[in-house]
Amino acid sequence: MDAFNNFLAGTVTLFSDPVGILIFFGGVVGGMLFGAIPGVSMLTLAAILLPFTAHLSPEHGIMLFSVIYCTGVYGGAITAILFNIPGAPENAPTAFDGYPMTLNGEAGKAVGAAVMCSAIGGVASCIVMMAATAAIADWAISAFGPPEIFALVFFGLAVAASVGAKSFWKGWLSIMAGLMVAVVGLDPVGGIERYNFDMPYLAAGIHFIPTILGFFAVSEIFVQAEKKATGSYKAPKLSVDFPTFKELWQHKIAVIRSAIIGFFCGVLPGIGATLAAFMGYNEAVRWSKDREGFGKGKIEGVISSETANNAATGAAMIPLLALGLPGGALTAMMVGVFQMHDMEPGPLVFLNSPDLVWVVFAAMFFANLSILLVGFLEAKTIVNLLRIPFQYLAPLILLLATVGAYAVRGLTIDVVVMFVAGVAGFFLRRSGYSVAGIVLGLILGKIGEQTFAQAMQMLHFEFTGFFERPIALGLLIAGFITILASIYGAFFKKVPVSTPTADG
Amino acid sequence: MGRLTKGQIVEVAFWLILAAFFFAYSFEFNNDIEIYKYGATLWPRTILLLIAVAAIGQLLDQRKNGDTAASNTMAAAHEDSAQETEYNSLGWYINTFILLSLPFIYMTVPDMYIEKAGIPEEGIAKVKIIAGIVLFLIYLAICWRNHVGAILTLPLFFAAMMEDMGFYALAPVFIIGVMILMGERRITRMAMIMPLIYGILIAFFVSILYVGLPTGYISPFYEFGSWMVNTFQDVFSK
Repeated sequence: MDAFNNFLAGTVTLFSDPVGILIFFGGVVGGMLFGAIPGVSMLTLAAILLPFTAHLSPEHGIMLFSVIYCTGVYGGAITAILFNIPGAPENAPTAFDGYPMTLNGEAGKAVGAAVMCSAIGGVASCIVMMAATAAIADWAISAFGPPEIFALVFFGLAVAASVGAKSFWKGWLSIMAGLMVAVVGLDPVGGIERYNFDMPYLAAGIHFIPTILGFFAVSEIFVQAEKKATGSYKAPKLSVDFPTFKELWQHKIAVIRSAIIGFFCGVLPGIGATLAAFMGYNEAVRWSKDREGFGKGKIEGVISSETANNAATGAAMIPLLALGLPGGALTAMMVGVFQMHDMEPGPLVFLNSPDLVWVVFAAMFFANLSILLVGFLEAKTIVNLLRIPFQYLAPLILLLATVGAYAVRGLTIDVVVMFVAGVAGFFLRRSGYSVAGIVLGLILGKIGEQTFAQAMQMLHFEFTGFFERPIALGLLIAGFITILASIYGAFFKKVPVSTPTADG
Repeated sequence: MGRLTKGQIVEVAFWLILAAFFFAYSFEFNNDIEIYKYGATLWPRTILLLIAVAAIGQLLDQRKNGDTAASNTMAAAHEDSAQETEYNSLGWYINTFILLSLPFIYMTVPDMYIEKAGIPEEGIAKVKIIAGIVLFLIYLAICWRNHVGAILTLPLFFAAMMEDMGFYALAPVFIIGVMILMGERRITRMAMIMPLIYGILIAFFVSILYVGLPTGYISPFYEFGSWMVNTFQDVFSK
């Protein structure tokens, strides 16, 4: 009941302040637009806005970022579906089935499913967040130390290795390539420079925003350019035929399952919506009777991924506000907003600034609801982007990506890195590797190494220490089983074919 | 049992060589960390070991199952797989590699020459512009019959030259270049679309969001970039 009263108070505060209302709607529209414009993302918008939040109150600054987070995660699904360009890594699994749906002339259905499921996942997550923040935060504090987080990262990477690539081995190599990219820069324990090849730029590590833009946006342009050159380019078919309620109702179990997965992935620090989306998608495949249909344009793939990633947004605020641990790039920027106002996110925020917490919670709830209203209107407009011929869209996307990569740190070398990542992504994709796997490895690599180092120090460098921690042990075993099952499947569950290809 | 193709062997060799190279380089930072006995190398070396294991696993899998190796996982990447076209031959790869190296030559060789020859500050612009023109002409000569290589290289050229010549001067050329490479041949359409894309981008990012895009530092590109920024910001501030 306390939570409900606090929520009402937060809602009144939010909507009785004209500046607050303006910032709220600016965040809703901005997050959706930047999420939906190919080549830029909510992270680009957040990076651009970050310096300006110094002029806002802490409530408005954090609220703006939390609203952008909710609507931006949804907005990224639009580009994933229409152009195979996920707005953020958490939208990558959405593209697996969303883009084939577009090619099949079902873009409207895929976008409609994304709108509905993003709203459902986000609202459900907000309700649980408001009702159970304290209890979940307490549980996470006591149950999840570095060994558990490392084990969870390992499990997540093991699952992700089986998604998106042509084979398990290529999936695994994609993840490892991402982990190696994350190694470049300073080591997280001793601050020793690794693989900088005497280049000052590499000493600080490779920034993930140019890399993500390169692997997704730029490599997609290259892939489409090759198709145009070889005459195999298929223009996406235009459709604004949204799914019926009956169609969505058929997938209610997938929605509920993904909402639960999304919430639990989101609540764990450092994991966030990306793993949620991959796990939501993977579980949908695992439980489906028509596994072969995934990756070819199955609406259930879009539903699972989008429910899970939006369900993670509310949950991701729990470690941020309760422990001061960001769950991903955008929540990390929120830490920056706190710091600009001489505040530290953590348990003290609940004591010292309860108004801030509840205004943010209320804003996130209404931002998710507004996806339903504004999202449908926006989607109807955005789908028309498909009418633009690709030869005009391509330079626009490449230049938007250029601005996005440059705006992060004001370095032209980031633009070079982005295009190098784009070329690498092009060659890796045509060889059947997963660019989403590389990006996941890149993002989770730093957290994985850091938590491994902390875990080993905590366990006095005894690997057997993991056996005394049931959650960590369970996750490690689940990860190993996933890998072994994939290897078994790779060697023993196929019909051998001895048809060499033309290049041999 | 499937017969391994050249492509599959080259792919596995690539991963193994990459792993060996990075393993050898890891001795460069193999320093002790007082509070962490595994040092800075355990993590990357474990990843490299796993890369080698996965590469060998892929080789064995492909040897056993042929080209369909392990295709029981999600097929999302299948669409992107290379088709048997002119863009998949050894000659194409060599041609593309040469093309891709041109922007990096621009980023390194003129600077080395300027340093070695002791070129004064006022001569730097001339060296950079001449290097840019020469390399771009080489690019045009080589990419004539390599459409895909051309589109892969053009953005890298754009990025490599941006530090010196700025976003504002290069973007119009880049937009037209991409449109041509994507198949547009109608001059009137290009003349209409280029200013539209350029104008929208600059109006939105420079005039409204105040994103400071690079103006370059060599003349006359720097002057042009600064003039564009001032003009657009003046127009929108009025």
